[in-house]
Amino acid sequence: MTDQTRDAVETTFMEVVEKLTFMFGEHAEKADVAPGTEPWAEARMAFSGDVTGSLAVIVPQQLQPEIASNILGLDSDMLDSAEVLDDALREMLNVVCGHVIRTLAGPGCTFDLVTPENRVLEPAELTKVLEDADTSVYLLDDEPVLMHLTLERD
Amino acid sequence: MAFNILLVDDSLTVRAVIKKALQLAEVDIGELYEAENGAEALEVLDQHWVDLVFADISMPVMTGEEFVERLHETGAIEELPVVIVSSAGSEPRIQRLKDLGIRDYIHKPFTPEQIREVVDSVMGVSSHD
Repeated sequence: MTDQTRDAVETTFMEVVEKLTFMFGEHAEKADVAPGTEPWAEARMAFSGDVTGSLAVIVPQQLQPEIASNILGLDSDMLDSAEVLDDALREMLNVVCGHVIRTLAGPGCTFDLVTPENRVLEPAELTKVLEDADTSVYLLDDEPVLMHLTLERD
Repeated sequence: MAFNILLVDDSLTVRAVIKKALQLAEVDIGELYEAENGAEALEVLDQHWVDLVFADISMPVMTGEEFVERLHETGAIEELPVVIVSSAGSEPRIQRLKDLGIRDYIHKPFTPEQIREVVDSVMGVSSHD
């Protein structure tokens, strides 16, 4: 990922997530993230068209209720279903992805989004993701959020 | 005037958020129907009177574009206002959907005010009187 792409993704992520979740994002460094011992939640989706690739958002599982409650406007203790939490993370990714693609390729670009999928990452897997040059790190309400973008043309 | 509204999206989060936005915008809702894709939406339309449809584009089984194409082929879209709510809209795609007869397009993320403005504009009456 080029620095230009990384900057565009970061700006878009901050703007979209603030509007969608009312949570504030800020830049972070990979060194700020400790994989810890708890699992992480990933939502990943592929896209194709004028730009082709995939985008993933990876968050600590304990951040999922806050994301879901902010999107849905409900108290986080009302959200006890893993499906609801995963669906909210997929939706956050879905919205960010559409905006990132238009930011990178322009409003006239054409593209298709594939339905996002969730999976759980153990801390050891997270270490590999952090080492990947295509991974960017942000803080969302002081919790780490990883974005992993791969572009075929990049 | 109460409207029967159909929400078409495979994400339960999005359906819940639109529902909440409609309530916050004080849109007068009669019946609220939900479908997870275009095929389910067509079944709902076969069985119930619907005044307004909010539909996503990217959905499994039948996408929002395919759903709109079907409504265009049958001519139903001339009488049934369809508003697309999506993050997958590029200018060419939105234009094509408008050519097929959708009444409006809302980019996610959206505000309750945007929903209210679109309902007022599309239905031609104030939805929250």
